[in-house]
Amino acid sequence: MVNFVALVREHWMQALVPFGIVMGLYLDRWNDNRLTAFRNKSALYSRELKPGEEVTWK
Amino acid sequence: MLKVLIPTLMLFPTTWLAPKKWLWATTTSHSLIIALISLTWLNWTAETGWTLPNSYMAIDPLSAPLLVLACWLLPLMILASQNHTRTEPISRQRTFICLLISLQAFLILAFGATEILMFYVMFEATLVPTLIIITRWGNQAERLNAGTYFLFYTLAGSLPLLVALLALQNSTGSLSMIILNFNPPLALASWGDMMWWAACLIAFLVKMPLYGVHLWLPKAHVEAPIAGSMVLAAVLLKLGGYGMIRMSTILDPITKEAAYPFIVLALWGIIMTGSICLRQTDLKSLIAYSSVSHMGLVAGGILIQTPWGLTGALILMIAHGLVSSALFCLANTSYERTHSRTMALARGMQMLFPLTATWWFVANLANLALPPLPNLMGEVMIITTMFNWSPWTLILTGLGTLITAGYSLYMFLMTQRGPVPEHIKGLTPYHTREHLLITLHLLPVILLVLKPELIWGWFY
Amino acid sequence: MSPLVLVVLLSSLGLGTAMTFASSHWLLAWMGLEINTLAILPLMAQQNHPRAMEATTKYFLIQATAAAMILFASTTNAWASGQWDITYPSHPVTATITMAALAMKIGLAPTHFWLPEVLQGVSLTTGLILSTWQKLAPFALILQVANYTPPYMLTALALCSTLVGGWGGLNQTQLRKILAYSSIAHLGWMILVAQMAPQLTLIALITYIVMTTAAFLTLNNMDATKTATLASSWTKSPTLTAMACLVLLSLGGLPPLTGFLPKWLILQEVTNQGFIPTATVMALSALLSLYFYLRLTYAMSLTLFPHTFNSVTPWRMTAKRPTLLLSTTIIMTTCLLPLTPSALTLLI
Repeated sequence: MVNFVALVREHWMQALVPFGIVMGLYLDRWNDNRLTAFRNKSALYSRELKPGEEVTWK
Repeated sequence: MLKVLIPTLMLFPTTWLAPKKWLWATTTSHSLIIALISLTWLNWTAETGWTLPNSYMAIDPLSAPLLVLACWLLPLMILASQNHTRTEPISRQRTFICLLISLQAFLILAFGATEILMFYVMFEATLVPTLIIITRWGNQAERLNAGTYFLFYTLAGSLPLLVALLALQNSTGSLSMIILNFNPPLALASWGDMMWWAACLIAFLVKMPLYGVHLWLPKAHVEAPIAGSMVLAAVLLKLGGYGMIRMSTILDPITKEAAYPFIVLALWGIIMTGSICLRQTDLKSLIAYSSVSHMGLVAGGILIQTPWGLTGALILMIAHGLVSSALFCLANTSYERTHSRTMALARGMQMLFPLTATWWFVANLANLALPPLPNLMGEVMIITTMFNWSPWTLILTGLGTLITAGYSLYMFLMTQRGPVPEHIKGLTPYHTREHLLITLHLLPVILLVLKPELIWGWFY
Repeated sequence: MSPLVLVVLLSSLGLGTAMTFASSHWLLAWMGLEINTLAILPLMAQQNHPRAMEATTKYFLIQATAAAMILFASTTNAWASGQWDITYPSHPVTATITMAALAMKIGLAPTHFWLPEVLQGVSLTTGLILSTWQKLAPFALILQVANYTPPYMLTALALCSTLVGGWGGLNQTQLRKILAYSSIAHLGWMILVAQMAPQLTLIALITYIVMTTAAFLTLNNMDATKTATLASSWTKSPTLTAMACLVLLSLGGLPPLTGFLPKWLILQEVTNQGFIPTATVMALSALLSLYFYLRLTYAMSLTLFPHTFNSVTPWRMTAKRPTLLLSTTIIMTTCLLPLTPSALTLLI
């Protein structure tokens, strides 16, 4: 237990970069959704999704 | 974009907070993770020209390989600088790593920018960390001169570019790379327009560097610490090529005749700098001049403005980035042991370090463009497109290839073969770190043989 | 100097500037300038040193001459038009004389010769006041007069100042003189757009004040007035030494730093107005200034003193000087460029 606390205290900054990656991925996805929200519904680009396809814009 | 940019920014606090003992391991491994994540950019699933857009940045097939190269270089730079900064106090080591990280952040912003002015600002922003790396962590007193040359050559070229870009913005109303492609061609006729055209290109030609404005490069390379040399050869020169490719879509109408002097200089530079390499005694200087020679070929390929030319230029930029960086690393490993860049003083290394001699061999073969390697792919595409433009260029490009082979052989024979002099028998053996460093350089080059379309740019 | 006198002097320093800001009448504006000048003179002369006396005398003579010219121009104007109003479109001759006098007051080339000599004679804190606060009142008048002066005059003053500021600093080793030449070059950038876009002059003035405050306070913190002294600055404060490198490059106008902000906006405005050659010359003249800033960074941050330090390095002791203003201005000097849109919305 003590070892674990020491480990966290000494190495907590190792979590910063993974946290950054997760945050970046989340923000990227959020931005993609925001930018393409209209496109899936637009008359020009909307189509039936193929099986296994999530969005039309990829 | 942010999945790489945010972790890159997170590297700053990580660097400052990491315990002393774990500093190098932490930064190396985390930057390697970031580099591996950036590899996903090469996976092109989109139907559109640009992907991963946000308000300021996006990626297209042209910038993706360069972005990945920039990310790939950071762990390698950190790996390579360990020995060089070993004697410094810990806070200076952290500062040094922070400079390298800031360089990567600026490079990502530069290659990812969709606005030319944003690209310009970031292009300039890379100057500050590079300047500090060269002049603060270089070895000889001449580094101050080198830093001044580096800064002033680049700025004198790029300040007219700023004015030219602002004038362009005034006339077209936008500097977005996405929009500018769809603009009607500009009507360029007057002398003022020619000056504008030249101002748009010269900044990048200085950065490339074109023969004639290349004097800053050998100085900077020779004086910079290993990380500076690596990033300069691998990525910073490519900012020039990338900028030229981006700008040339706008500069189209008068490119044909106006580009002649630049093409001539680029081709002549291949011969001249190659010949300089043949009589070079300084190992780092030789590699630097070989960079100038290769970048001359790239400049020619871009100025010709054909699909093959642009593709060849991009391939050669990536391949040359990895290979010249590997050569600088090798030169540095021998410099760290013999404390001399003079080739005549460190001969016959093959007897002492056979595995390193293998690395030298592979890197040299890649540098002189051995058949399956991407270097050859790039060179052949550019030479072909030049030949199609004017058959006479084959004399220059062919001779250039020959000279490249000549000085690569010279470099290899001079450093690796022959009897071992008495004074270098007590050298420390190579570390695994150094072998890993070279492997991480050469592995991508060899793997790209299998799937070269990753770095073919727009025309795949 | 007793605190009471100091308070009186500083408050009349503020009063003079505020009076010039608030006045619409030439006589009041002139009075403000005079109060301002008279209040700074004892501050300059407080070190009882021949150099300080010389600087004070020179400053007094120049400022008095400029103020007399302003008085002359405004009375002529009142005589010709019957108006004392500052913004009243006056005769071009009086406007030109006024602008020349104001250029002399702030030290624009070709009437800049007094500035390096005066700054060299005073202490760094007084020098800071001289090169920041003392520019405000004249600039308030310049912005109002600029519309009536011939545009070529402003462009000529601007080009002359940036070139002279760049060239003059190249051969200097005295830091206060270098900062004076840097001030001349920056004033040139400001005056260039005084007519086309006065808001940009204001932005440039504000960023210049921030950057130069950071530079003066840094040097003050290091007790350095010569380039040679800078070489041991890392022993006093390593962090400040590292940041000072960025401050100087920011003064030189390198892109990711604040110093690029006014240059960028001014170049944009000048290009939009169609003066592309002027913009190019201005941009390239910034390289001249950059050279001496770069040399200072070499002396201070980018080279280390070759031998080891024998005693305890001073940075290990607790610092006694207040550093709040210094740290604030340093952060502003290095990090404001991303806030360009906000600066534009605030001031335009």
